[in-house]
Amino acid sequence: MTTVTATVKAAPRRVRPLRLFAYGLAAALDPLRLAGLVVFALIWEGLSSVLSTIILPPPQNVVARLWTDFLDAPSLSYYGVANPNLYANLLYTAENVVIAVAIGAAIGIVAGLVSARFSLVRAIINPVMMTAGTVPILIAAPFLLIWFGVGRLSAVCLVIFYVTVILYLFAQRAASNVSPIYEEFARTLGASQRQIVVDLLIPATVPEILGGLRIALAGAWGLEAVSELLGSQEGMGKVLEVLAGATDSEGIMASLLLLGLVAIIVDAIAGWAVKRLASWNAGLSSERN
Amino acid sequence: MKLGARVVRDRWISLGVFIAIAAIWQVLSVIYTVEAVPGEPMVAGWQVLFTKTFLSMADYWAGGLGVPSVAEGADRSYPAAALSLADHSLQTIIRLASGLVVGGGIGLALGLAVSWSRWTRRLVDLPVQFLRTLPLLAMVPLFQLWFGTNIAGEILFVAYGIGVIVFAGTVNAVRNVPSIYIDNARALGASRLTLYRTVILPAILPEMRSTVLLSLGTGWGAVLGAEYLGAQSGLGYVIVYAQQFAYLDRMFLIALLFIVYTSISYWGVSKLTARMLDWAPPSQRL
Repeated sequence: MTTVTATVKAAPRRVRPLRLFAYGLAAALDPLRLAGLVVFALIWEGLSSVLSTIILPPPQNVVARLWTDFLDAPSLSYYGVANPNLYANLLYTAENVVIAVAIGAAIGIVAGLVSARFSLVRAIINPVMMTAGTVPILIAAPFLLIWFGVGRLSAVCLVIFYVTVILYLFAQRAASNVSPIYEEFARTLGASQRQIVVDLLIPATVPEILGGLRIALAGAWGLEAVSELLGSQEGMGKVLEVLAGATDSEGIMASLLLLGLVAIIVDAIAGWAVKRLASWNAGLSSERN
Repeated sequence: MKLGARVVRDRWISLGVFIAIAAIWQVLSVIYTVEAVPGEPMVAGWQVLFTKTFLSMADYWAGGLGVPSVAEGADRSYPAAALSLADHSLQTIIRLASGLVVGGGIGLALGLAVSWSRWTRRLVDLPVQFLRTLPLLAMVPLFQLWFGTNIAGEILFVAYGIGVIVFAGTVNAVRNVPSIYIDNARALGASRLTLYRTVILPAILPEMRSTVLLSLGTGWGAVLGAEYLGAQSGLGYVIVYAQQFAYLDRMFLIALLFIVYTSISYWGVSKLTARMLDWAPPSQRL
């Protein structure tokens, strides 16, 4: 059995996490790519000098607004937002995202792995997941808002629903991508069903599943914000809704900027963590090709 | 078990699952009779959905074609209901199709233009990554502010959502074209334009397939988002009005219709693209 584990976990870590991080940093600090950001800001600046500030506020105003509103935005309290700053609302959104991704991932991964092993289960779950995956969020959200009321529960349920579908698909694909040779080899060595799952299936599928988790996490921010936009008392979505009602384009763009930045940072951390956690993947995939 | 037999069996199981879900819904509607507002059950059974709910769609019929609308004093009738559903569906589909054409076209053109050299590709990399992470549907208020509630704004919103995905997909696909193809064509003396027309465009098609399917899903979501805020027609409009009065049965009917549309469009597009990619080696078809 140890042989199989060793095969799957293939070789020690060749790429040091630190070096990986350094590569990532170098790529992020590529002068040309940074210049792209500057050009983007300049175009925005140019457009905003032509159009009125209500339509398109200049980038420095948006950044300044984000800076001041982050800790304290008294204007929000006039519209009935419980915590009149972006920080607390962002935290609320983040909490919901974390809870939803954790629950959704657990359901999706288990269902995906089981369905890849048993064709009968797959035949039963697949049509449900495929149909559920095509339902646009704006169709599903109103039902949840009426069934569960305006609050944390309906937003979290909505995100769980989507994370589950994504991870189901990823886990299923990951498990069917595992070369049958591994399992045959393990069986010849007398591995039990449980050992195959624990020592072979899980290590072999983790890299791909983590990739799916990263995609789900990136999408979850948007979904959470939208479901808060449709009905919530707190969160970034609520802030956006309030600012939209006040036709405050500067505030809207500042909130969107914050959401985008947080999503990028979380994604970068997740990407780094995935590479670190699944560092045996390099050996596995090179063997497969 | 033979593969063919298994496919047939799986089809029967899928059918059975859908029937089971429908049956559970019906049972739930009998057991759980709580009403959201008087006369509007939280869970509407099928007998309600296909009679009362369907008829109520006549409320959204504006009149014309010899079928009087409810606003003109007529009773709700089945022809009016059917026409109203067809009309609103058509409005939604027109918005989606225009958005797909505009956004897909611009996204593809820009993506190819940017892929002209490695320099431009690196230049646009970060801004595009950033635009992709912005939650599309949360940008609805911004578009509403910019374009008001006219149809151009709705189409532009859909086009934006699709354009960003197609653009990123194109850049990525061109990057993944094996450099040996390009080197070989270059060695044979191909100019940049010939290279694009005869090597790069065909080579990115297999990879663009998943981008097309992804943008279709985004498009359906975006068109609803556009209709949520301010449109006076379309399926999204019907849903918004139904939600304001907590008419769950009407929402459910539209949701079902939507699932049917999205499934048909996915099925159609994936069949079509699979057919168009018949020439590609199986390993390249995603």
